[in-house]
Amino acid sequence: MSVSLPLPPSAASRSLVLGVLSAALLLALVVAAGAGQLDIPASEVVGSVLHRLGLDVGSLPTHPQGEATLWQVRFPRLGMAVLVGASLGAAGALMQGVFGNPLAEPGVVGVSAGAALAAAAVIVFDVAVLGQWTIAGAAFVGGLVTTVAVYLLSRDAGRTEVVTLVLTGIAINAVAGAALAFLMFLGDTQAREEIVFWQLGSLNGSRTEHLAVTLPLTLVGLVAAIALARQLDLLALGDRAARHVGVDVERLRLTSIVVVALLTASAVAFAGIIAFVGLIVPHLMRMVVGPGHRSLVPASALGGAVLLVLADLWARTAIDYADLPIGMLTSLVGGPVFFWLLRRARRTAGGWA
Amino acid sequence: MSHPRNPLLLALTLVALVLLTGCGGAVGSADPAGSGAGASGEVAVAPSLSEVEPAEDPRAFTGPVTAGVDGSDLDPVTAPQPALPATVRDAQGTEVVVDDVSRVLALDIHGTLARTVAELGMAESLVGRDISTQFEQAADLPLVTGNGHELSAEAILELDPTLIITDTSLGPWDVVLQMRDAGIPVVVVDSTRSLGNVEEITTMVAEALGVPAAGAELNTRVSAEIEEVLGHIEAIAPAEETDRLRTVVLYVRGNAGVYYLFGEGSGADDLIDAVGAYDVAEEIGWSGMRPVTAEGLVAAQPELVVMMTKGLESAGGVDGLLERLPALAQTPAGQNRRFVDMDDSVLLGYGPGTADVLNALAVAVHAPQALEAQGDGA
Repeated sequence: MSVSLPLPPSAASRSLVLGVLSAALLLALVVAAGAGQLDIPASEVVGSVLHRLGLDVGSLPTHPQGEATLWQVRFPRLGMAVLVGASLGAAGALMQGVFGNPLAEPGVVGVSAGAALAAAAVIVFDVAVLGQWTIAGAAFVGGLVTTVAVYLLSRDAGRTEVVTLVLTGIAINAVAGAALAFLMFLGDTQAREEIVFWQLGSLNGSRTEHLAVTLPLTLVGLVAAIALARQLDLLALGDRAARHVGVDVERLRLTSIVVVALLTASAVAFAGIIAFVGLIVPHLMRMVVGPGHRSLVPASALGGAVLLVLADLWARTAIDYADLPIGMLTSLVGGPVFFWLLRRARRTAGGWA
Repeated sequence: MSHPRNPLLLALTLVALVLLTGCGGAVGSADPAGSGAGASGEVAVAPSLSEVEPAEDPRAFTGPVTAGVDGSDLDPVTAPQPALPATVRDAQGTEVVVDDVSRVLALDIHGTLARTVAELGMAESLVGRDISTQFEQAADLPLVTGNGHELSAEAILELDPTLIITDTSLGPWDVVLQMRDAGIPVVVVDSTRSLGNVEEITTMVAEALGVPAAGAELNTRVSAEIEEVLGHIEAIAPAEETDRLRTVVLYVRGNAGVYYLFGEGSGADDLIDAVGAYDVAEEIGWSGMRPVTAEGLVAAQPELVVMMTKGLESAGGVDGLLERLPALAQTPAGQNRRFVDMDDSVLLGYGPGTADVLNALAVAVHAPQALEAQGDGA
């Protein structure tokens, strides 16, 4: 993305795109809710939901565990897919905006690596200070700490250069990777397996409690991200131009980094590392809504949610009785798509410098 | 310029598809606790240690042998009557009330728990199984572990179990919690397997099923069997530690250079001591199950290597393993090709089959010629 000026947002086209994306999300949710290992016909799924809403319409699931499956297993999982997808999509859009660099992804500044490292550490050393929340809590704190560390390390004389920031992120990632490898060596088989699965990412085992913890974090993050959108549009003019029109660039960067860390860490905490969503979704959305952040951020959040609901549907239904790691699926699809985007950008815009 | 784009995209899609299907296959087969029944079906069961002539010098024996165990050889307690509701305090201290044992899932990495349920005379109640459970009455039940040890919540709920007995060897743990959320009683037993807690685990499973008397009966039988085998071993094992075969239990999978040495607390330590061999891992202070270096293996100088059947197969058999791991060829075990393999799921599973495992392994250590003759006959 060579910094292109945001087009004047047309309110009508913006709400059209967001409307279409919302409809797509709703449709994806309905399809995903009706599919799974335990066979529950769509009519019974609808009936079960209506009953919970107090409407005595339609038939309840006939399978003795149908009701429990829907409300304890499938719906929490769908909910987590929406939240995680929205968080990662919005975080990606925010990050690309603040870095002015299309390759920026939450993973780049070390959030994912830091979270993975902290999670692995509590798995291997069998820490349980927070009971069953220990791993998620550690991942969250790990992500935040790493992000702040990267930011502080790359800051010099009150200024942060983008290239330095990205390179510092790479260095931190390398160190975190080494530490992770060492932890895998230290751990027993069970810990190793847990770490591997955590790194591949999975929404298997999502519970209502997870949803209750993640929802407020995601909402706060999303609202903050949308609130920052206008300033990010000005930042796209370049640091100096943005300063001239009254944007406190340093503060904007710092706030954005914290919001990105919040969104990513809350997504990663329960689901593990799910790569490429933060990279691909904003790119695809930019092709549809243009580079203006006031449309891009919400569109990326919705797009990320749609992508993850569908990816998770695939992950849990592709092989009977088994769950594919969702991080593997998103990378598998995301990698080639990203490659295609690169080629396309080179052809049409002379490439990204 | 748009022309070359489409073949490129097509190629990428194809690569992606191949990778995906490849992964799907690998996920199914890369299963450390292996499905062992295929192997044990072909392999003759080791004779009782009391019926074989111990080798004059077990060190002089060369060549690999298979310590066969019949995992389907059940001797269940007859028709126990469950007394319900049963209240159990499980290994994590959770108070669990069981009202109904008509649909039971007993799941762990070794298949020990399902086997225990069957030995308690409750095989009829089992409605699903883990990958390691292969005995006859259960072999056709639906699997609820997809990728080897990963529990699938919907697959479990589909079976509508009224009781789940498991440990922490299968995950994710959140799925177990989801089952509790769904109102299914979940009894969690100790996940370590050793000679010391066979009785404890059996007792807890029996209590969960509401058949404590059957548990006591099974425990009496199993400990008598273990005592008997240990008696035979004591009679022929060298009294001096230095005369015992220096033994390691190695975990090898495939050709990627994954080889782990089982140490203290892995269950392998008990096994080696019980069959009257010398535990090299204990000598070098090895704990758990960790990757070992090639030079470490040479330095340890094992005289006998115990492995899992499928693991040895996946490494290309003894020849393949020695070729790939030249360090192993530098040990007495490698020079004598002194390898013993045993069904993946039973080797470290303990439970009601413990005596058979000890017996087969002891025969392989002290009277390998008996197994070799048997192999020729088959």
